[in-house]
Amino acid sequence: MSENIIEAQKIETLPFEELKSVKGEMIISASYPSYLVDESKISGGHAEWLFFPNNEEEISSFVKKMKEEEQMITVSAARTGIVGSAVPFGGAVLSLERMDHVIGLGFDEEEERWFLRVEPAISLNEINDIVKLKKIEKEKSIPQDKNWVEKFETEPTYYYPVDPTEMTASIGGTIGANASGARSFKYGATRNWIKKLRVILGTGEVLSIPRGKYRAVDGKFIIQTAGEKYLIRIPTYMMPKAKNAAGIWAEPNMDLIDLFIGSEGIFGVITEADIWLKEYIAPMSNIVFFKDENDAIDFVEKLRSSESFKPEFIEFFDDKALTLLRNKQVEDPKFVNIPKIREDVLAAISFNLDYSEETLEKCFDEISDMLIECNSSLDDTWCAYEEREIARFKHFRHAVPEIVNNIIAERKKQFSEIHKLGTDMSVEDKYLKEMMNFYRTKLKEAGLEYVEWGHIGDNHVHVNILPRNMEDLKLGKELYKKFAKKAVEFGGSISAEHGIGKIKHEYLKIMYGEEGVQEMRIVKFAIDPDCVFNCGNIFGREMEQ
Amino acid sequence: MKIVVLAKQVPEADKIAVDPETGTLIREGVASILNPYCEYALDQAVKLKNDYPELEIEVTAISMGPPQAKMVLLRCLELGADKAYLLSDRKFAGSDVWATSTALKEGVANLEPDFDLILTGKQAIDGDTAQVPAETAEQLGIPQITYGVDVKINNKRVEVKRETEKGYQILSAKMPALVTMSKGSNIRRIPSMRDVCIARDKPLETFSADDLNIDEEKIGLSASPTQVDKIFAPLSKTGGEIIDGSEAKVAAKKLFDYLKENKFLSV
Repeated sequence: MSENIIEAQKIETLPFEELKSVKGEMIISASYPSYLVDESKISGGHAEWLFFPNNEEEISSFVKKMKEEEQMITVSAARTGIVGSAVPFGGAVLSLERMDHVIGLGFDEEEERWFLRVEPAISLNEINDIVKLKKIEKEKSIPQDKNWVEKFETEPTYYYPVDPTEMTASIGGTIGANASGARSFKYGATRNWIKKLRVILGTGEVLSIPRGKYRAVDGKFIIQTAGEKYLIRIPTYMMPKAKNAAGIWAEPNMDLIDLFIGSEGIFGVITEADIWLKEYIAPMSNIVFFKDENDAIDFVEKLRSSESFKPEFIEFFDDKALTLLRNKQVEDPKFVNIPKIREDVLAAISFNLDYSEETLEKCFDEISDMLIECNSSLDDTWCAYEEREIARFKHFRHAVPEIVNNIIAERKKQFSEIHKLGTDMSVEDKYLKEMMNFYRTKLKEAGLEYVEWGHIGDNHVHVNILPRNMEDLKLGKELYKKFAKKAVEFGGSISAEHGIGKIKHEYLKIMYGEEGVQEMRIVKFAIDPDCVFNCGNIFGREMEQ
Repeated sequence: MKIVVLAKQVPEADKIAVDPETGTLIREGVASILNPYCEYALDQAVKLKNDYPELEIEVTAISMGPPQAKMVLLRCLELGADKAYLLSDRKFAGSDVWATSTALKEGVANLEPDFDLILTGKQAIDGDTAQVPAETAEQLGIPQITYGVDVKINNKRVEVKRETEKGYQILSAKMPALVTMSKGSNIRRIPSMRDVCIARDKPLETFSADDLNIDEEKIGLSASPTQVDKIFAPLSKTGGEIIDGSEAKVAAKKLFDYLKENKFLSV
């Protein structure tokens, strides 16, 4: 039976003096500058302390010491996030990079599913490498007497299916962000793949939260620490039905584990996670070309309504993205490493299917009918099932943002404050076409340079505005707000996968209003009353005083 | 006109490593692929087919290998070959370059005796010997042109633009002939979903040594005059001088002085 009261467990700590740390803002900025930035490239990061803990005991000691010193803590691992969540603005950086091991492998007999227990800083690439090649030591069975590792060796290939594109991301970071990416169309976001978490709180105690054990009662949870009882009132806002990574998860009878997943680290430090594994079925990737963007959108709607198959992902490229690729092909054929894209192609959809020789023909016949109805055909496609060929398709997908970033870097030389404006908005299924039309019309009206690509299967296309000057940047920002309002109006999210971090606070207000944000803040202060962890993520620091 | 493409299945070379203790290849988790040079040969065959419709070119892919080498022939069919033959038999196991070329020669002579042109990769990316094409041509008694990057057909002769260390050469030979292909400016093609579908309906047959009446004495390990004694990873190069680049101006000055002192620059 589930309950809503959880007890925090005490951790034996070591005297702080015995632990290694780096102290001093000057030393850190001179010798450890990479700990002050992440992929958001936001500047101004600084910190007074830097720690590299090896285990929970050390983290607990650091947390207690920092609380004494009235220093806030920014948790850091792979720093691949793009909303600045790992960028410290004062206080301490807790870099988990040494906690990057596999703890064990187990089989949940009730659920009949395999799971892997990992430390927070292991990367998704490493997890898949270890799981796919079954490189797990025998003594790491959970529990040991069950010999699960030996049994796992006779199983087919397994993997961890969450693919947020950046596979060097750490598991802890992806849990904090509830990362998703292209494949979430079929498998959902990180949340669906987390079985259990251990989280260290501001008291230095740890919560062990298995999924299914703690559920809210009357919209409340109670965390019992050694000193006091924390009463947590779950926010009352309605979350969108569309893909969403904005703010904290809130549902009346929610599971406690879901409060921590996607909370951008504001409640504590994730020190351990049990993640579900899935049997690996080799995929077949396809790219389909269209002469009209609306045909491509029609095809997406047909594709996702098929009853005989469900792609892992459905991705979109507009004519501007294809033009960028074409131009790059002329300049540097090896960079793109794909055949020429025909000039009359104005949109492309990439999707994959399970690769099976038995069902291939039937599947292709169905897709052929869909394509004919959308003014394309099986001839206007590319198909790959060999791993190296699939890797080429993946590169095709990644090349677009890479080219965009290069263009922006070039423009920064002239206007140093220019940056890319990349949207991360989703809408409900039924509004896909309207939203796409809205984007296109408004962008054209404004005369801005832009590119659209991304996870159209989840109605989550990234619009990238490329400002040519400061005027464009201003116009772009205004447009961004209009897009955010429209996405919310269409039942969507202002951040479907990147999170809020330190740079999207104002859009969160568009989505949930001042009241919603205030409800989140109340939860934050209930669990972390001294505001120890990751201050500035999700809502502004100044308001937390 | 008939073109035969000889294709080999190879491990994806950039992912392979040598176990320093046993000297064997670590193949765990490494995929098998169509040798890229063989793919360029196939591309050239398909290009000729499209460039010379009047010649009614038929492209046949042939490979010698274990049963799973069917996958590379399937890829050849997806990329435009009309039919494919796999020579597969335990009796072929352990064949060196000479025994392999014997098997291929017998395969071609038996299955496509009236061929006009054989196209194949300049070498395979696993063994890298570049011997099999030359020995196959020799055993068939036909002329060979190596390291081609472009091929034309001209009045029953094959005209090949070939890479040399000093630039390009144009050579021609009377057909039937064998041409090995280099990369050139090729970007590997991608089949369409239609191509993938159609490939599965094209003929792909397997033949044993007995099917081809190949004398057992001429193939396999016992018929191989060469043997691989040892495989080892080359030692990484040491030496050289690394200039500390933390201060760009200082580093540039040091590099300039070094180049000048050693007479790489005459300033």
